[in-house]
Amino acid sequence: MPSKMLRNGGKGLILALFALWTVIPIWMVVMTSFKKQKDIFTVPVKWTFQPTFDNYAKAFSNGDFGLYFLNSGAVAIVSSLLSVGLGTLCAYGLTSFGLKRSRAITNFFMLGKLVPAVTMLLPMFVLLQSVGLLGTYVGPILAHTAVNLPFVVWLAISFIKDLPKELEQSALIDGCTRMQAFRKIIFPIILPGVVAAAILSMQYSWNELVFSMQLTDMGTYTLPVGISRFVGSVSVDWGKSSAAATITMLPIIVVGFFIQKHLAEGTTGGAVKG
Amino acid sequence: MTRSNRSYLAGFLVLPAVAVVFLAMIVPLGYAAVMSLFDFQIGRENSGTFVGLKYYIAFFQDSVALHSLYITLAFTVIALALELGLGIGIAVLLSGIPERLSKPLRAIYSMPLLVSPIIVGLIWRYLYDPTFGLLYQWLGAVGLADDFGGLAKPGSALFSIIVADVWQTTPFILLVVTSGLSTIPSEVYEAARMDGAGFLRTLVRITLPMIGKVILLLTLIRGTDAFRVFDIIYALTNGGPANSTMSLSILAFKKGFEQYEMGYAMAISLITMLILIVLFAPLVKRSSFMVKE
Repeated sequence: MPSKMLRNGGKGLILALFALWTVIPIWMVVMTSFKKQKDIFTVPVKWTFQPTFDNYAKAFSNGDFGLYFLNSGAVAIVSSLLSVGLGTLCAYGLTSFGLKRSRAITNFFMLGKLVPAVTMLLPMFVLLQSVGLLGTYVGPILAHTAVNLPFVVWLAISFIKDLPKELEQSALIDGCTRMQAFRKIIFPIILPGVVAAAILSMQYSWNELVFSMQLTDMGTYTLPVGISRFVGSVSVDWGKSSAAATITMLPIIVVGFFIQKHLAEGTTGGAVKG
Repeated sequence: MTRSNRSYLAGFLVLPAVAVVFLAMIVPLGYAAVMSLFDFQIGRENSGTFVGLKYYIAFFQDSVALHSLYITLAFTVIALALELGLGIGIAVLLSGIPERLSKPLRAIYSMPLLVSPIIVGLIWRYLYDPTFGLLYQWLGAVGLADDFGGLAKPGSALFSIIVADVWQTTPFILLVVTSGLSTIPSEVYEAARMDGAGFLRTLVRITLPMIGKVILLLTLIRGTDAFRVFDIIYALTNGGPANSTMSLSILAFKKGFEQYEMGYAMAISLITMLILIVLFAPLVKRSSFMVKE
């Protein structure tokens, strides 16, 4: 059947083109980060060249990238631990106690997802400044935790609701307290989902720009802020900023492969199952 | 455990999370609502003078602000349409090929989702560079380089940003639609095939209606995201050239942090939030975004 072959060929071609469209921009940056200055500015673009690590050395030696890396790690780890810790406990509280207002509280969290970052940022900046906490980790950690909590709560609720009700009840009959039932029975079962939620929170925090940029100072800048300072300057140092971008991007892309199936449900707040 | 003890524990579990959101979201919003009624300088909040609704009225008389509203709406509509079209299209194609091929492809397709917006900005500024950018080199090869203004011309800057946004967020649509498609039972397609329905007819009559709910939810999530757009514009053009990419969020940011008109900036950002809520409230009600009975 030639018409079927033709159609399959067309399908394959479109899917392949879409893969190229996805990969080429990322590949360009990774490639540029290994290029010597003279290989970056060429027409046409050089796809093969003598690789060098100079740009990475430069980014770390005169760009404070080591510090930014540590700052990003600290903010991402603390804020995602907070979101996941508070979020799962909250989800347990909302699902397992027949709380009268649990639906209203859940919806209150979801409405938080509609607030523009800048609307939160402007007053946060003024408030943090007046209590002397501007320029510390407090601003980005608080902001990232608040942004991540709604989806962590939502996700954890959907995990707990998927469990058979008898599981918790039999633990309670065996003499466990509510908290023991959560710690020993429920939490271990939903752990894989919770880990995925933690990674998604970390990914948001790791990549987030505007809170980290305005609420920190020279000593607490994160990686995206560091990169924005490279990009913002009048002449962009493409080699150095590509190296910084590659270091920032690769760990999260690698981790992303492992939580593939959670990417969709994570960002829709569990409303769609992956 | 008695009933009151139980709700005591439940409250104890729920409260910390509610407190964080209250502290980081509700308190700032309330503060912004109050301070947007004052003309004040950063660091001297207490010596501000009360100006009432002056800034809210000013917004609707400020041609730059109204233009920003228009830009924001245009960005939202065009980006959403392109992303939904492309995302659904690729997801449908992907659902028709064997799992061992579609799985790795899905992994490749989802990469842009994980890239920081500032890096997306860096990448696309590099691609759009007029002298050595890949895009111009390819356009030049077919003789179109001179017609395309890229990020530098007011006529094409917004569209250039939308292209970068499509690059980053179409994978999200693709992933969600893919999981939506997997819930359609294969019998439905078999029945359609038996009735002799072609590809297009099946798509329009069966596939799209079956994932209607998913599309609604995506329109809500991506639509509200697009309306709040900040990062990618900040990274690519910062509102220029000639205000042609000035979204409401960018405008509020600039007023607050570059021109130090904090009161006006807060008013703009609150108006942005209110317009967003008014525009998307009907969708919130109809979608599975919130818990219902």
